[in-house]
Amino acid sequence: MSDTKITIEFNDKIVRQFLLATVVWAAVAMLVGVLIAAQLNFWQLNFNTSWLTWSRLRPLHTNAGIFAFVGNSIFAGVYYSTQRLVKARLASNFLSQFHFWGWQAIIVAAAATLPFGLTRGQEYGELIWPINVMVVIVWVAFGVNFFWTLARRREPSLYVAIWFYIATIITIAMLYIVNHLSIPTSFTHSYPVFGGVQSALVEWWYGHNAVAFFLTTPVLGIMYYFLPKAAERPVYSYRLSVVHFWSLVFVYIWAGPHHLLNTALPDWLQTLGMTFSLMLWAPSWGGMLNGLLTLRGAWDKVRTDPVLKFFAAGVTFYGMATFEGPLLAIKSVNALAHYTDWIIGHVHGGTLGWNGFMAAGMIYWLLPRLWSKPLYSTALANLHFWIGLVGILLYVSAMWTSGITQGLMLNGTSENGTILTYPNFLDTLNAVRPMMLMRVIGGGLYLIGWFLLAYNLIRTIRGAKPVNGTIEVYADVPAPSAKKLGIAGSFFNPPVLFSLFALGFGCAWMFGGDFMKIAGIVGAMLCLTLAYSHYESRGKSWEAWYDRLLVGALPFTLLTLIAVIAGGLIQIIPTLVAQQAANLEDRRQIPYTPLELAGFDLYVSDGCYLCHSQMIRTLVPDVLRYGDYSRLGESIYDHPFQWGSKRNGPDLARVGGKYPNLWHLRHLEDPRSISAGSNMPNFRWLLTDSIDLANLPRRISVQRSLGVPYPPMTDAQVVALAQAQAAAISADLRAAGATVAPDKEVIALIAYLQKLGKYEHVTHNATANAPGLAD
Amino acid sequence: MFQRMILHDSAVLYTIAAFSFAVSIFVAVSWRALRMRRSEIKHLADLPFATATPASHDEPKSKSTADR
Repeated sequence: MSDTKITIEFNDKIVRQFLLATVVWAAVAMLVGVLIAAQLNFWQLNFNTSWLTWSRLRPLHTNAGIFAFVGNSIFAGVYYSTQRLVKARLASNFLSQFHFWGWQAIIVAAAATLPFGLTRGQEYGELIWPINVMVVIVWVAFGVNFFWTLARRREPSLYVAIWFYIATIITIAMLYIVNHLSIPTSFTHSYPVFGGVQSALVEWWYGHNAVAFFLTTPVLGIMYYFLPKAAERPVYSYRLSVVHFWSLVFVYIWAGPHHLLNTALPDWLQTLGMTFSLMLWAPSWGGMLNGLLTLRGAWDKVRTDPVLKFFAAGVTFYGMATFEGPLLAIKSVNALAHYTDWIIGHVHGGTLGWNGFMAAGMIYWLLPRLWSKPLYSTALANLHFWIGLVGILLYVSAMWTSGITQGLMLNGTSENGTILTYPNFLDTLNAVRPMMLMRVIGGGLYLIGWFLLAYNLIRTIRGAKPVNGTIEVYADVPAPSAKKLGIAGSFFNPPVLFSLFALGFGCAWMFGGDFMKIAGIVGAMLCLTLAYSHYESRGKSWEAWYDRLLVGALPFTLLTLIAVIAGGLIQIIPTLVAQQAANLEDRRQIPYTPLELAGFDLYVSDGCYLCHSQMIRTLVPDVLRYGDYSRLGESIYDHPFQWGSKRNGPDLARVGGKYPNLWHLRHLEDPRSISAGSNMPNFRWLLTDSIDLANLPRRISVQRSLGVPYPPMTDAQVVALAQAQAAAISADLRAAGATVAPDKEVIALIAYLQKLGKYEHVTHNATANAPGLAD
Repeated sequence: MFQRMILHDSAVLYTIAAFSFAVSIFVAVSWRALRMRRSEIKHLADLPFATATPASHDEPKSKSTADR
């Protein structure tokens, strides 16, 4: 090796771009958040305008918060730290720019579609299918750029932050693609391929792990790089970081079903989700302690350095949120907390405290380094910290109080559990109004803090010269593959083969017939014994495999993929195979008529599912309030499922036939004319906008291809059926004293609402025809 | 079949299997982490400091400190 050195200039332009985008989009996300929080207090702020209505803006807020704010911040952190950790410039300037501008285009496209009701109707997966395609393309570009950079690295070892980034890239790709599998009916509409319970399970496998692998693992990687840098001391325990990574990656992916506790989801999945959620306490707190203990000996700096303040508080919020999450995943706690504001408080403790503060700390640390100019005002940054902290505490404590109050009131019973203590849902809403107002104030303070950061940034970079970091390296450093482990070597080795055999025998034991069970038990025992014997005699070869694995990006990535894929496969495949309409033994949903399907699409488009669940849990108060508990088959044809995650209003699973058509019309037109004190927006545009009948045949056709048992119908028959049912509802309204033309959207939505809770009893010889169409 | 899958009482098996699985991963990884060589640990933990990141807002400090 020669002694010649060359200087590598890092691509810090891309870091600056993502950093600036973070500041802008965070402000937008928080501004929308404060607005929708205020709308829950003052319904007038919906302005009787469809695109400013709460249920249209809420997905905009969540998507902006997750993908625009946190997304841009993690890209900035990943690109900055990766180049330095692997001592190589990003592989491709073009891919870097494509990533940046592609991601901003996605955000703009989301902002231009969600307020107009163009949505897939799945939480955190609302973006319509053309934008989904854009996301996949841009994410692949990010992945290629990242792994290409790793392939060109001049540092053989992979620091633990890089592990977290690898897990993020591959897991998000897997989750996003599976959850967004859809069949388009038009350029702006599609139906997800999974329906009913399958849709619920896949959605929360994705939704939960979007939190895990988009909001947590990349930020942990950022923590492991930026916190030691800011504290000027190495991470407290690198060993602990290794344990943290593997146990987190293995355990996290299984926990999704905890979002569906006490519902119609099969019990074994609920138990599995709860168990793994509880086990998350260990790795999460291991990571938190590792972060906080990194500050050992540097706590005096925390008093004066805003960067360390933000990091210390951010890591503390990580610990708090990851303690609260498993707590909420305990079935009995979940019975109280689910569908209430407690969950909203939990989520915001994570996003504002963990993601927001880590992003702020990183930005304050990066600003002077990327623009080579001291931060404009450290005092202002400190003020930002305190205002933000007070804001979070107000927000979170208000939501805890509100959620627990809601839970206690909604679940309150008397007369030995036979009568609801608060039968009127609005009583519970009006009881928490002060806390809802407190949330607006808390969120507003946090937003003001962020504006301070933006001002500080502008003043810092005004007139400053952007600078790119450099590093001197030897010109001919040997490739990092001196100890490289090929693909074959990664898998054809004792640890992997023994694990695979043990897994195969274990499956035979659990799922096989009589003979297979015995063979499975014997095989599994034999396999474990042989594996132990082999390890005893050849232990060094096992350790050598692991050591070599860690310096090879590709084998490491594949192993991580296997780790995250296992949980998903074990939960999802049995659900896909067993939970189908053909296997039902109890109740089966009656497919929607064409007009009802149009109403279902409007229900999704207007975001009704964001306030109203359609899942009566297997809990006494739920049954007393809403009727017989929901069976799994009663929503088997819903693409996507409508079980919901929050009750700002009552459950609608059995609302069909409960009220006359006129009640629904008046309620949608002006909710307060029916329910005094309601905070539901007016949905008046439904009375003037017309139903999209032209696209209805295509939608029925796609539903049929997804397994919904519609009989063969021509396009004209579909439209005629819809028009006939609409005319009947319009006539009924006219007879009751209201005049609405049959082609208006409200007619379709009423038809849908009146269908909810209708089912057929399944008999052994039940055919798969569509009895509902004859109704 | 469908009802049986929902109502069967073998949930305890899944809990135990899940716990055993996670514990085995945890123990194996912890064991391996504990057996890592000190020199290797030091090298890895120091990687964030292998590249200087001068901070102009730390100018009063000595360069070596700021570069950490």
